[in-house]
Amino acid sequence: MRALARTPARMLPRRPRVRRDGRGRGVTGPAAGLLRSSLRRRRKEFVRLAGWSLVQAVPAFLSGWVIARAVDDGFLAGRAGTGFAWLGVLAVAVGTGAWATRHATLGLAAVVEPLRDELVTLVTSGTLRRSAGSDRPADTGGVARLTEQVEIAREAYGAVVMFVQSFAASSVGALLGLATLDPALLLFVLPPLLAGLGLFVGALRAMAARQRDVMLADERVAETASEVTGGLRDVVACGGEDVVRERAGQRIDAAARATRALARMTAVRTASLAVGGWLPLVLVLAGAPWLVQRGVTAGAVLGAVTYVSQGLQPALQSLVRGIADSGLWLLVTLGRITGAAGEPPTEPTAGGPPTEPEAGEPEAGGPTASSPPGRPRHSGVELHGVTFRYARSAEPVIDALDLVLRPDEHLAVVGPSGAGKSTFAALVAGVLAPHTGGVRLGGVPVGCLNDGPARHRVLIPQEAYVFAGSLWENLTYLAPGVPAAVVDAAVDEVGARPLVERLGGYDAAVDQQELSAGERQLVSLVRSYLPPAELFLLDEATCHLDPAAEARAEEAFARRPGTLIVCAHRISSALRADRIMVLDGARAALGTHTELMAGSALYRDLVGHWEDGAGTGKPDHTTRKPDHTAGKPGSTAGKPGLTASPTPGRSGSRRSGSVLRSSE
Amino acid sequence: MDRRAADRLLLAAARRGGPWVPAMMATSLLLAGVYTVLPALMGRTVDAVLTGGHTVTWLALSIAAIVVLMVCDLLDDLVGKLAEARSTAWLRHTLLLHVLDLGIRATRRFTAGDLVGRLVGNCARTGQVASTLVWAVVDLVPPVGAVVALALIDPWLCLTFLVGLPVVLSLVRTFVRDASDINERYYEAQGRVAARLVDALAGIRTIAAAGTVDREVRRVLGPLPELRRHGAGMWQVLARVSGREALVIPLLEVAVLAVAGLQLAHGRISPGQVLAAGEYVVLATGISSLVSSASRLALARATAGRVAEVLAEPPVAYGGERLPDGPGTLEFRGVTVRGPRGTVLEDLRLTVPGGSLVAVVGRSGSGKSVLAALAGRLTDPDEGEVLLDGVPLRRLGRSVLREAVAYGFERPVLLGETFADAIAFGPRPAGAEEVARQAAAARADTFIRRLPQGYGTRPADAPISGGEAQRVGLARAFVQAGRVLVLDDVAASLDTVTEHHISQVLTGALAGRTRLVVTHRASTAARADRVVWLDGGGVRGQGTHGELWSQPAYRAAFQPDPAGAGPGADPGADAAAAAEGAA
Repeated sequence: MRALARTPARMLPRRPRVRRDGRGRGVTGPAAGLLRSSLRRRRKEFVRLAGWSLVQAVPAFLSGWVIARAVDDGFLAGRAGTGFAWLGVLAVAVGTGAWATRHATLGLAAVVEPLRDELVTLVTSGTLRRSAGSDRPADTGGVARLTEQVEIAREAYGAVVMFVQSFAASSVGALLGLATLDPALLLFVLPPLLAGLGLFVGALRAMAARQRDVMLADERVAETASEVTGGLRDVVACGGEDVVRERAGQRIDAAARATRALARMTAVRTASLAVGGWLPLVLVLAGAPWLVQRGVTAGAVLGAVTYVSQGLQPALQSLVRGIADSGLWLLVTLGRITGAAGEPPTEPTAGGPPTEPEAGEPEAGGPTASSPPGRPRHSGVELHGVTFRYARSAEPVIDALDLVLRPDEHLAVVGPSGAGKSTFAALVAGVLAPHTGGVRLGGVPVGCLNDGPARHRVLIPQEAYVFAGSLWENLTYLAPGVPAAVVDAAVDEVGARPLVERLGGYDAAVDQQELSAGERQLVSLVRSYLPPAELFLLDEATCHLDPAAEARAEEAFARRPGTLIVCAHRISSALRADRIMVLDGARAALGTHTELMAGSALYRDLVGHWEDGAGTGKPDHTTRKPDHTAGKPGSTAGKPGLTASPTPGRSGSRRSGSVLRSSE
Repeated sequence: MDRRAADRLLLAAARRGGPWVPAMMATSLLLAGVYTVLPALMGRTVDAVLTGGHTVTWLALSIAAIVVLMVCDLLDDLVGKLAEARSTAWLRHTLLLHVLDLGIRATRRFTAGDLVGRLVGNCARTGQVASTLVWAVVDLVPPVGAVVALALIDPWLCLTFLVGLPVVLSLVRTFVRDASDINERYYEAQGRVAARLVDALAGIRTIAAAGTVDREVRRVLGPLPELRRHGAGMWQVLARVSGREALVIPLLEVAVLAVAGLQLAHGRISPGQVLAAGEYVVLATGISSLVSSASRLALARATAGRVAEVLAEPPVAYGGERLPDGPGTLEFRGVTVRGPRGTVLEDLRLTVPGGSLVAVVGRSGSGKSVLAALAGRLTDPDEGEVLLDGVPLRRLGRSVLREAVAYGFERPVLLGETFADAIAFGPRPAGAEEVARQAAAARADTFIRRLPQGYGTRPADAPISGGEAQRVGLARAFVQAGRVLVLDDVAASLDTVTEHHISQVLTGALAGRTRLVVTHRASTAARADRVVWLDGGGVRGQGTHGELWSQPAYRAAFQPDPAGAGPGADPGADAAAAAEGAA
């Protein structure tokens, strides 16, 4: 009766959410599509599964009939041997059925496992493409939880297919068996069975909706719970206990209401079981006198009852309970996966902005640009009236920016955090497309560079990417097949030799957990130094290096042919550049250090505070100490991030620390 | 685990199910009883039909039994769920309230994720207590009854069954042993895919810029063949087990039927009894649920124990006193705080003059954050007393205390549906204008206005950097600032220009309030009226930054911590942040 497991109280993942507006259709639409396409592609496997299921149904088909024969021809007729023989037939049938069950399970695997592969692939490529198109940090935790969802979907899909398949097999077997005993028996069994199934199928949609409500309500409880427990200190410090308690309390009550609503729907489910499973039994028993009068034997009556009570009824019960539980999990998780990881609507590699394009002609960056693909004619960079915002209603991050850089010029971009330096870098690199205006590299719009922009410019972000693999693979990521001598030269130029030696050469396996933030940035810098590009963008790419190491790396890029744009982390970076751009909100000022000191209050502020960032009054004695050891050009001794730091992230706390005093 | 507390909580939760609980007991018992007698009734009915006995009577009895069964089944599910809904809601309300009353004490003993688990999963499990208890007992009735019934029909039937049963039980055990090993390898491979995906997402800007998304997809999916292989292994095990399961129970039934047939041939039992025997075998195999019933009970007790464990912690008690008018003078009188790794502060004596800007500096682990937490009673001292304008903090009412002392944190957790909500979160109501003004003061205004829905954006929909979260948290502190404002390393992820502007707000618009500022930065210390230098569990020095700077040990307090985490660490580390506030 309730041997079947009740739905486990799963700790529901918090994000990504099911879209709350699209009740039903919005979520299940793409999910149903995914299922349909999976079914269509695996027709052969389904046919094989159906075949095994039929063999599996042999004992269900034979059981009642064999019992009838064993009783009538054997035991009641005084021929025990015949009775045993018939039961022996049943035992053989059971063995055959078990053998088929085993193969049917493997057949199930052939149907379910490919779906899992498809979902894993979808999650991987979908999230990577989607994140690549947006310049906000990705919700890595949410993505990690998606892989759990794949597992739930896999189990649920397997369960649903199994329930349907085993119900079909046992009911077909039992009905065939009944017909063999006496076709009239079908009259007692088939109508209520169909009525029960109809009731269940009719209520399925409403039931699914209730079950979904329960899951959503539970999820919302989990959401508030983690908000409350994760932010307990903040709740208490802000005196927000009552606000939080009320909000969470409402959600708890909503969850209880949803559970009650589901309980009422569950009653419909039980009713369909009663009609489809128990009513046939009642009818068979009630009709027994009439059947006996028609000449149906004692064995046949026993057989008929066996078919119904041991074949049909349990099969219907597992179908009804299984579909109601697993089927819903399947739809919800699939909806979630397709919603969160489905292919983004825009063309992915162009990296469209996370909003619909605005009015105005984006001259470059997008695939709509009219110019034909071409090679950049030089390494100069031009921006014309570039505007970018995250949403139509939001304020622009970059507003009507014009900028012309000569080939091989070295520009530093400075500004307070959040001024849009990274957005600027992404726009110039063509990773983000401006809403209005255009960016050209060597006279060609960045969106129309032949073979894509990645061949012509390198963008080095603050978060260095080091993947599990050899150091060589990591270094030659952007220039596969480059000779060792070239890599050697780049390592020496950028100042990564001690790191290479510490790790034990190029073949050493690197694990990003074992590298400090500064060491990861060095790997990223060497990697970016290798490809023959026209434009190099360092977006705070040296922020975890100490000032001397930073200077060495930046100078290496400045000596290299190609235009260099450095989004500066320290003012010293600005002082090394030919020109400096000060970003502040959507405004920008451009000039040399001297010009900006005269003309930009913000720049004066930046220079001033950058310099006294480490101790007002008499700051220089202690805070500059590390620099003296590492300050000699070409020396890498004493770099805290390289030689003496087994702890990753050490250099991170240096952010407000030492600063190279520049021209005074 | 305190078993008795767990049992008390289980009983309390069951009682909260209200009238549904006795109703469920009744339906369940009836259901189990009917299940047990039904095969016998059906057998009698068949015999009556075949031999022309009291057909109508037996038929009526059978049909009545089945109708009772249908109705009870329906009611049982319904009533059980209703009781469960009530118990679960009561448990969740109770636990939530208690966690809030515990305050930071809760996060000292339990991690945030752990508490969520207790609030969501464990409460739900414990809420099922009534049905679990009832069903655990009642589910045993049909199998036990069936074994007895077999014996009553014919002792040989019972014997046959009892000899065959161990085979079934041993089968279940094989399943458990076979599966765990292969499952582990499967989930390992799956974890590798997830880890690679998370790595790639962390470096997504590099990948996007290099246009290597396709290559990364292939790399992430590298372990897929292995996953497939272990997945196939799991199915092999499952196939073996389901094959055996499909074999054993029906074979047991065949064996019993054979014995029954023999007895039938000898005229010792009737055809109806053969039918009943077959049915009883199936019912009796449910005897293996004895194990699962016991484990379900143990589980309910264990989950209840986890809930009871939190409820056993004593909550923070607030006084009822009001605060006299005053400048916001904080006094620490002989304060000692002990942590898990020894004494953090020992006999600390310190007065923070009302209306002054006081910087708290010291190496990591010197107790700066603990001092900050003490100032607003986020934590209580183990010994000594903290007074605000002469009143011990313990004696203040909760809302009085919160209105008087506001906090800004290094890693704030933003609470609220929107950024506007998150900034206005607290006892002091704030309009949109006030929110925008304080956001501008905290330099959070610009980036919020660039978000898709500006101040109406949900924080959950717009992942922000550590520095951005810090500024929003600061805006919240500015909105709520009462006579005391405690800022615990709020500028850690901010650039120096932003930090300078915020310092100007501290010395300008907020002048007059008592400002206790924990900092790692010399520039911040230099702007303070006074610096409190913590070292070795106490105050090592007090004075202006200039006065203290001559001491090398003081200067060393501003050196970066060797093991310090980088700025802007992930905002998801709520638990760590909360724990930090307390430790």
